[in-house]
Amino acid sequence: MSGKTLLSLIVVLPFLGSFLAALLPVYARNTAAALSGMLALAGLAILAFFYPAVTGGGMVRVDIAWAPDIGLDLILRLDGLSWIFAFLILGIGALVVLYARYYMSPEDPVPRFFSFLLAFMGAMLGLVLSGNLVQLAFFWELTSLFSFLLIGYWHHNQSARDGARMALIITGTGGVCLLLGFLIIGRVAGSYDIDVIRTQADAIRSSGYYLPALLLVLAGAFTKSAQFPFHFWLPHAMAAPTPVSSYLHSATMVKAGIFVLMLLWPVLAGTEEWYLIVVTTGLATMVFGAWSAIFQQDLKGLLAYSTISHLGIITLLLGLGSPLGAVAAIFHTINHATFKASLFMAAGIIDHETGTRDLRKLSGLYRFMPITATLAMVAAAAMAGVPLMNGFLSKEMFLAEALADHQGTIIDETLPYLATLASAFSVLYSLRFIHQSFFGPPPRDLPHEPHEAPPWMRLPIEILVLACLLAGIAPNLTIAPFLANAAQSVLGDRLPHYSLAIWHGFTLPLAMSLIALGCGILGYLLFRDRLNAVKRSPVVGRLQGRRAFERVLAAIMDGGVALQRWLGTKRLQMQLRILLGMVLLLGALPFLRFGYSPGTQQLTPVDPVFALIWIVGGACAVGAAVTAKYHRLAALVLLGGAGIATCISFLWLSAPDLAVTQLLVEIVTTVLLLLGLRWLPMRRPELWSGSRPLRVNLRRATDLGVALAAGVGMALLSYAVMTREAPAGISRFFVEQAYPGGGGTNVVNVILVDFRGFDTLGEITVLAIVGLTVFSLLRRFRPARESVRTPVQQRRQNAYDEAQADRSLGDTLADYLLVPRIIMEWMFPAIIVFGIFLLLRGHDLPGGGFAAGITFSIAIIIQYMASGTRAVETRLSVLPLRWVGFGLLIALATGAGAMLLGRPFLTSWFSYLDLPLIGKTPAASALLFDIGVCGVVVGSTVLTLIALAHQSIRTPRTETEES
Amino acid sequence: MSPADHLVIAPILLPLLAAAFMLVLSERRRWLKRLISLATLSALAGVAIALLTMVDAPGGAPLAYRLGNWPAPFAITLVVDRLSALMLLLSASIGLCTLFYALARWDRAGPRFHPLFLLLTMGVNGAFLTGDLFNLFVFFEVMLAASYGLALHGSGVERTKASLHYVAINIATSLLFLIGIALIYAVTGTLNMADLAVRVPVLAGQELVLLESGAAILSIAFFVKAGMWPLGFWLTPTYAAAAAPVAATFAIMSKVGIYAIVRLSALAFGPASGLAAGFANEWLMAGGLATMAFGAIGMLAASRLSGIGGSYILLSSGTLLVATGTGSAPVLAGALLYLVSSTLGVCAMYLLIEPVERAADIDREAAQRQSEPVFEDDEPGLLMEEYEAEEEEDEIGIVIPATIALLGSAFIFCALLMAGLPPLSGFIAKFAIIDGMLSGLPAMGTGGWTAIAAILLSGLATLIAMTRAGISLLWVPVDRPQAHLRVVEAMPIALLLALCLALVIGAGPVTRYMKDTAAALHDPGRYAGAVLDPALQPPERRR
Amino acid sequence: MEIILSLAIGIITASGVWLLFRPRTFQLAIGLSLLSYAINLFILAMGRLKMDAPPVVDKVAEANPAAFADPVPQALVLTAIVISFATTALLLVLLLAARGLTGTDHVDGTEKTP
Repeated sequence: MSGKTLLSLIVVLPFLGSFLAALLPVYARNTAAALSGMLALAGLAILAFFYPAVTGGGMVRVDIAWAPDIGLDLILRLDGLSWIFAFLILGIGALVVLYARYYMSPEDPVPRFFSFLLAFMGAMLGLVLSGNLVQLAFFWELTSLFSFLLIGYWHHNQSARDGARMALIITGTGGVCLLLGFLIIGRVAGSYDIDVIRTQADAIRSSGYYLPALLLVLAGAFTKSAQFPFHFWLPHAMAAPTPVSSYLHSATMVKAGIFVLMLLWPVLAGTEEWYLIVVTTGLATMVFGAWSAIFQQDLKGLLAYSTISHLGIITLLLGLGSPLGAVAAIFHTINHATFKASLFMAAGIIDHETGTRDLRKLSGLYRFMPITATLAMVAAAAMAGVPLMNGFLSKEMFLAEALADHQGTIIDETLPYLATLASAFSVLYSLRFIHQSFFGPPPRDLPHEPHEAPPWMRLPIEILVLACLLAGIAPNLTIAPFLANAAQSVLGDRLPHYSLAIWHGFTLPLAMSLIALGCGILGYLLFRDRLNAVKRSPVVGRLQGRRAFERVLAAIMDGGVALQRWLGTKRLQMQLRILLGMVLLLGALPFLRFGYSPGTQQLTPVDPVFALIWIVGGACAVGAAVTAKYHRLAALVLLGGAGIATCISFLWLSAPDLAVTQLLVEIVTTVLLLLGLRWLPMRRPELWSGSRPLRVNLRRATDLGVALAAGVGMALLSYAVMTREAPAGISRFFVEQAYPGGGGTNVVNVILVDFRGFDTLGEITVLAIVGLTVFSLLRRFRPARESVRTPVQQRRQNAYDEAQADRSLGDTLADYLLVPRIIMEWMFPAIIVFGIFLLLRGHDLPGGGFAAGITFSIAIIIQYMASGTRAVETRLSVLPLRWVGFGLLIALATGAGAMLLGRPFLTSWFSYLDLPLIGKTPAASALLFDIGVCGVVVGSTVLTLIALAHQSIRTPRTETEES
Repeated sequence: MSPADHLVIAPILLPLLAAAFMLVLSERRRWLKRLISLATLSALAGVAIALLTMVDAPGGAPLAYRLGNWPAPFAITLVVDRLSALMLLLSASIGLCTLFYALARWDRAGPRFHPLFLLLTMGVNGAFLTGDLFNLFVFFEVMLAASYGLALHGSGVERTKASLHYVAINIATSLLFLIGIALIYAVTGTLNMADLAVRVPVLAGQELVLLESGAAILSIAFFVKAGMWPLGFWLTPTYAAAAAPVAATFAIMSKVGIYAIVRLSALAFGPASGLAAGFANEWLMAGGLATMAFGAIGMLAASRLSGIGGSYILLSSGTLLVATGTGSAPVLAGALLYLVSSTLGVCAMYLLIEPVERAADIDREAAQRQSEPVFEDDEPGLLMEEYEAEEEEDEIGIVIPATIALLGSAFIFCALLMAGLPPLSGFIAKFAIIDGMLSGLPAMGTGGWTAIAAILLSGLATLIAMTRAGISLLWVPVDRPQAHLRVVEAMPIALLLALCLALVIGAGPVTRYMKDTAAALHDPGRYAGAVLDPALQPPERRR
Repeated sequence: MEIILSLAIGIITASGVWLLFRPRTFQLAIGLSLLSYAINLFILAMGRLKMDAPPVVDKVAEANPAAFADPVPQALVLTAIVISFATTALLLVLLLAARGLTGTDHVDGTEKTP
């Protein structure tokens, strides 16, 4: 197997395993654990295989083309730094797996746990192996996601849900900043490839985008690494199962931020901005964390804050910008990972075996679990920086660096004191951790009877503690080479000289550690009892990051609701007002910017009759607008008036087809509205008696204003156009080709069925759809109760029938309007013939399929009006939907016919044939098409009308249905 | 012409044919109709892929289909270029997935679901294909009419109320559409888009002003479709009230508005057209930002998933408007990827709502709210309650175990997709857009930075909203009846998410395609050439 | 004539828009129908005015486009008429259904503003 695939396997395997684990049965804990362990070990093996390659500043790099067009290629790069991180991720990962196998209760759906854990591991590995910033951000977000799932693993607990959400949102926000920062850096450097970027370091530091990029990257790193003031998510993440805590907070999650800082250290570090921001943050975090850790009563809480403090130390070291600082940072990262992981596991064991993590309850556990106690003590000693422990060495380096002068600022002055102070604190809380839980009198009223943990559960701790000791006692034989590789891959040729000896003679740093040690012990002896009484850490306890977070979140939600109500509306009228307002604004804007001028063309002389028509027409329109609320019928008639005026104008302006169609549509629409009128409620008088309130008048005034503006706008637009020469457009072609090409003399109709027949196809489709919709809407429609009483007139007639002995109910209704009814019934065939006539001549003279269709449906309506629904439907059965369907099919077939002949859809063919009576008729394929159109029109029009007509023979809804 | 040439029109004719055929069938033959719909949509997907490969072939020019064998620009021409092909494929995939989902039960919640569904697809496809302004209007109407029918599918007070607003606003908008077209015709004398690209640049003086006014009014019609603030208030309620698969299908409709804007601004009303330079772009930018803000706010405010979905659609429309407003090709390329992935994402999201809320046991209440018995029934189109009650076993598909876990992961994927987080395509799309914006770094003004900030912040808002909803729906323990999820419901969701994953894995070719598409859009000449080239016109007919 | 037609279009539009803003569904329907008249006239006007032009072309002689009214807007209007007829019908039925379900004919389906 090539090195390429092998390296990518490190990242791929965990995800693969995660997928497999997810498929395991719910309680297969052994299988899941074994699988996870195997994969981690396999990863380690691969890592070991690559070790020789990364020694002495060497690097393994794999490029996989992914999306070159947007500068995104997968790059895996393994150098000393990423090697050591990967080693920690996999090694501690393996131990955590083993530990979790015994820690998790058999009731938990453990495979899911391991699945998340593996996915998280994979994400972390992907992160540290990324050779491309965008790819790094990609895995960065993945770690946030999977840590969310891990922290929320016991999501039946409120605390787990909150902790998980907080972690996700904080780190997610950071991730967003990080991404943007990376993008800016990438842009300045001209590439996202880290190795390229490192060569561009000076360019980046000197560019104007350095500061924003820096701030954004730091925002990402600090949120992830729980730096003050973003630290507060970390303690709440303790709601996670302890194996998760020991993994996330020692080797992985929180170290991701540190890793990014180290990775970009050569690029970003060394400037004053960097120094000020990073050192200050680190310092604050270190002191704050250490101080708060002292006052925690929860074992894991104590460890959480100590983690924060140690992360602060590392950040501080990186911030100093000195090569030695970087070395110390790397070193401390490794050490912290080892002892913190083991301490979390120990805390977990205590929790597991005693059922509590409350330091105040715990005491004297040594006699029950001597081994665990011993292990914990060693680890704690490392945390406190006691000599012969790895923690001591890195602490020494840290103190030495703290003493060194860097930028000559006030920070440099105070650094030694604060460093010593923080060390003293860490001694204090380490001591408290150990003494409080393992020594003193035997514990009382613990949830379980404590006893030693099973050996397999202890094994991970034993290994880690051993590591602490070895690294602490014989650093040069153990940790030194790895550290050297890592340091060299970060510092390159700036690698300073340093020694890991335990004894450098009696130096100032040593003195500081001893002072810290002494103060710590002294402090504990003085305050040990009072510490147990503390509810929350003094001074800083007030900084309730969590509450602030919750408040902000809640504020955002509420603000959202308020803003939405303020910026939006649910009311139709308002929406239409806005719509029209926008139209006026955007439509008028060009004229406002460039002025408005009518054309110069000679006006056609005014015809007084036409003017008269429109005086009436306009009056009708306004009248309709006024009466529409209280006198619906009047409004309807006036609407018709305006419609007629429109028809006449069409005729006037030599558009006979439009006139015909408009008229027919007019009729049908009116009938529809008439049928509908009945179901509308009685109009109640004004809600407000007497004079209307002012706001109403104001609203109406604005509406009127908008309406007038719209009218004026339309008038001006049309005037501006009509007074201009028409451009030499496409229309001439149609006139010229109508007969020679399209075989019809009625240009408009030829356009409709031939040149632009496709529009017509769409148009009849719309008709068909509307038919369908109306059908399904009204099929089961029940009108409101008050409107289903039989009309007054009919009631009178019935009353009359009942009064007369010789008449039976309904006779009068039957006789009523007998003559017109007969006439109307006789008209039926006549109208049908007229329709056919319109249909056939359409191609050459005004008419056409649509007009014909409407005519047919009018014929049918007339029947309904004359003889009533039942009577009609006993005589002729109308299947409108079928007609629609067939109509569409015919039109389609006509169009598709051409395709068989290798011509585009709708290519027409025609000739003339002689029919009796009608005479010479164009038998064009267009005619067939028109027949289809006709079918659809009849179908859907009749459908709508019938659907409405049927309402009148529906029975009213019963009370129960009403409610 | 060869049969292959007719592929261009297939996306319009196939659904129409199928729908027309269904109309002459009896409503009772449900299975036949289901089969026809599935077959049609699968065929459409196939056609879309074929067209895509045809136009994407090296040196492949846009394909023009001259209806009635008349020369352009006089009659109607259909045109397929990379953009249209892409949109066609998107619409087919969305259609297929939602249709599958609907088979579980929704297609029986009312009559004539399948014809309406197919006709909606036809309208959408037509809008993507046509190269003629008025024909575009016609297909918008087809699409809208069908959407009215579907929005009302399943009936109920909520739906009727929402639809009333929806219909009223859209009728008004259609009138605006007509005004715009008429004005443009009045000054240019043509309706063919390619022809416009030729004629608009030579306009000057008052004609140009009139054209601008027309273009502005026309664009409002598209803004309404796209749900741009303050014209998009109808969107969320309508989608929330609509039946789940319907809402999911509607996800594509807002994109039709975007498509029209992109197409026309690239072709006729772009910077090249001599319109007051950047005038349109500023508006797009501003409107887009406002829309994004409103969408983000809506997501944070939303108390139900449907609310989140609707607001997300607004948000994505806003993002696309902003991206179009930048007028830069790389950004547009990213935006196209974003368009695809966000549409797929929100579609999956709408399909998820039902199972998730069912699992959280608030589905029944939702069903109550959505379709209470207002009509008594005389045909198989059933009301949900009766349906749940008596024909539970009749639902299609096998119940799959571990429902909650599955729903959970599906939900998470949707959230990631919508928030633009890895590993799904949302991340790549977001990256591509921002990267494109930054490519103009030294020159980039505050507008650019605002846009970038808006994109990133809105992503955060999405994350917060989705986390909140997801936790309360899936993590808060409720004594839920064993939640059930049917394969036929799960499959489409899985398919949609898989598509997004495929977009990531295939990021190379995908981004390459988007890049070419954007480049082609910024070079209207090729499109116009393919349509108007005299060499390609049919011979004049004489009798 | 141009002036009269423009005024006519303007007046109908104004009345229609006014009705668009009113709260009752019936008013809305009437308003939209009025507007569609206005739009149809507008579209026709966009082809410029031409009076007493022959309705059909001659079969033998070469047709002279200048003599005819621009047919394209007419075709557009015809399509527009049909479509607006369809949508108006739908709206009408819908408002009846809404009235039946909500018990009111207010456009928001409720008397009090939400």
